Amino acid sequence: MIRNLRELYQYRALLWALTVRELKARYRASVLGFLWTFLNPTLSMAVYVLVFGWLMESDTPRFPYYVFSGLLPWIYFSSSVGAGTSAVSERRDLLTKVRFPAQVLPATVVLTNAINFLLSIPLLVLLGLVYRQFPTWHFVFIVPLLLVQTLFTLAITYVLSAINVAFRDLQHIIGNVLQLAFFVTPIIWRLEQVKTVEQQHLVLYVNPIAALVEAWHDVLFRQKVPETMPLLVVSVLSVVMMWLASGVFEQRREEFAELI
Amino acid sequence: MAGDKHAVVVTNVTKHFKKVAKRREYTTFKSELVRFIKGDRGVNEPTQYIEALKGVDLVVPKGSTVGIIGRNGSGKSTLLKLITGIYAPTSGTVQVNGRISALLELGAGFHPDFSGRENILINGIILGMSRAEVKDRMEEIISFAELGEFIDEPVRTYSSGMFMRLAFAVATHVDPELLIVDEILSVGDEHFAKKSQAKMTEFKTSGKTILLVTHGLDAVEKWCDLAVWIDGGKTRLMGSPAHVVAEYRRAVNAAEAQDAKTGHSALSAPGLALPEMVTPPSAQESLRAVSVSVVDGSGQRPQAFLADAKLDVLVDFEATVAQAGECSVDVQTADGRLLFSSIFLTGSLPVGTGRARMTIARLGLGEGSWTIAASVHAPGATPMTAATTSFLVAPHPGTGLVRLQHTWSVEGRPPEVDAPVPGQPVARA
Repeated sequence: MIRNLRELYQYRALLWALTVRELKARYRASVLGFLWTFLNPTLSMAVYVLVFGWLMESDTPRFPYYVFSGLLPWIYFSSSVGAGTSAVSERRDLLTKVRFPAQVLPATVVLTNAINFLLSIPLLVLLGLVYRQFPTWHFVFIVPLLLVQTLFTLAITYVLSAINVAFRDLQHIIGNVLQLAFFVTPIIWRLEQVKTVEQQHLVLYVNPIAALVEAWHDVLFRQKVPETMPLLVVSVLSVVMMWLASGVFEQRREEFAELI
Repeated sequence: MAGDKHAVVVTNVTKHFKKVAKRREYTTFKSELVRFIKGDRGVNEPTQYIEALKGVDLVVPKGSTVGIIGRNGSGKSTLLKLITGIYAPTSGTVQVNGRISALLELGAGFHPDFSGRENILINGIILGMSRAEVKDRMEEIISFAELGEFIDEPVRTYSSGMFMRLAFAVATHVDPELLIVDEILSVGDEHFAKKSQAKMTEFKTSGKTILLVTHGLDAVEKWCDLAVWIDGGKTRLMGSPAHVVAEYRRAVNAAEAQDAKTGHSALSAPGLALPEMVTPPSAQESLRAVSVSVVDGSGQRPQAFLADAKLDVLVDFEATVAQAGECSVDVQTADGRLLFSSIFLTGSLPVGTGRARMTIARLGLGEGSWTIAASVHAPGATPMTAATTSFLVAPHPGTGLVRLQHTWSVEGRPPEVDAPVPGQPVARA
């Protein structure tokens, strides 16, 4: 794992160049360009507010702000995993022609989405101001939360992108799994709306991304110190997964160039 | 360590690839389902392997230019990928000292929507330069690529020549210690080709190590200090470029001749080894050519033969068993193309040495250097050993590969005109 991260650091110029290109390329041909970074999550938030806030009359206070504070980390996670799955298998042009550590490719996807996420945080603060919710000192938790979520996302993306090289069906399966994950994560609903405490715990401890999103809600929406226990579980899980994922990558990467 | 003197040391490397298609049948959901229902879980099926490399040895001394030649499918590109580190060897070791830049494909990672300038940056970093290095060399690269104002246009608007020029420009400005080049010296028009060659010369003179895979045999003879011939996944010959290239051409010609005579040879499938030409003396050949020489009508060997002179080809052979023999003589151009081939059945030959003589009443070849390859073997057998000799044909009026026997005459010449009229056929020697 250490070696994997050290190599990422060694190739940071490549990682950064690919990330910058990815950010630039995404909206290059469009008229609104970079504005889409903010428009996309805002518009999905608007859809949920329209359906669940207005039509179904959610009782959550400041519902748009609540949705947004959970949706942004969710988009960071799901976009990374969705695009990261095929990150290695799609770059035949690079992997079979140039030597570089393959983990740069999934890491580029995660870093690109992390930057998008960071860029949308001011938008979230702005939306909070509309609802008279001002940033508190709890915002310092953004840093460790971001770190844990990045480690977790990176680990999952590593494993999926490695498997997808040999088993291409994964990239289609993963879209459906992400859809399921979206609905079992408290983004458009609140954890308190789940009937029993047992069920609440089930959501929190079986679905790591739910624990993360709840922590973001704690910091950004409820303005309190995030619950330690679920977050600790996710942190430990992230480190273990990262360790395993690096091992898988280390073992399989010689085969990548031959298989894709 | 002894390896420090060498940029690359490849020791007995093999590389196997798993065969993907099972029993010529594409793997589909249906075929998998049928197999599953039939109870054939594919457990007993032995995994098939393609042996791309079967034991390659290669030493690239620091500061030298080494050319790798061989047929399509002989394993050259696989070898380069192993040296670059893209593939891992199945067995054996690959040792590399120094920073590598591999030009296996031009324009790796180019993005069509980005400008030339942006692509230089990303491609340079992909090829191993730091951001600062690329920025330092940006102007140099741009001026080398000769793209003018197109440099700030998206790459998708480029012509293919412009694209290749830009890619080549970036690739050659990486400043590696070891440059690995796979068949890219012929980029762009005449002018740019010259420029790229000058760049390669600059690499060479500045003491960089260059490893070159090419089918341009002339380039190997011209550029390289050492040539390696990879054949059928093995190192077949390593040595001076002239020697290796000549041997390679000879083997290809032999395979072609075999193909023409029998309809099948190593050439019919990709990657097959070419016929063996050089056999150690210990080889069990009961009948073989020992040497071949050419003499003119007076039995002398002049510096250069006259095109109209008589020529005798003398083939000395050796038989260890009394048997019938077949003697063949090939006349080849300097670059190894077969011009003429003749076979003679000798009838029963006694044990011991002998000499076959082929008399050419009038040589009739064009000016230049020619090669004679002669072999003596049992009838119908593939010649294992060929004796060769080269000779020169002196300049004479007229050009071309051959000098046909001919005379000139002019008919219906207009009576008033004394001097030859330009554009009219004129009597020449």
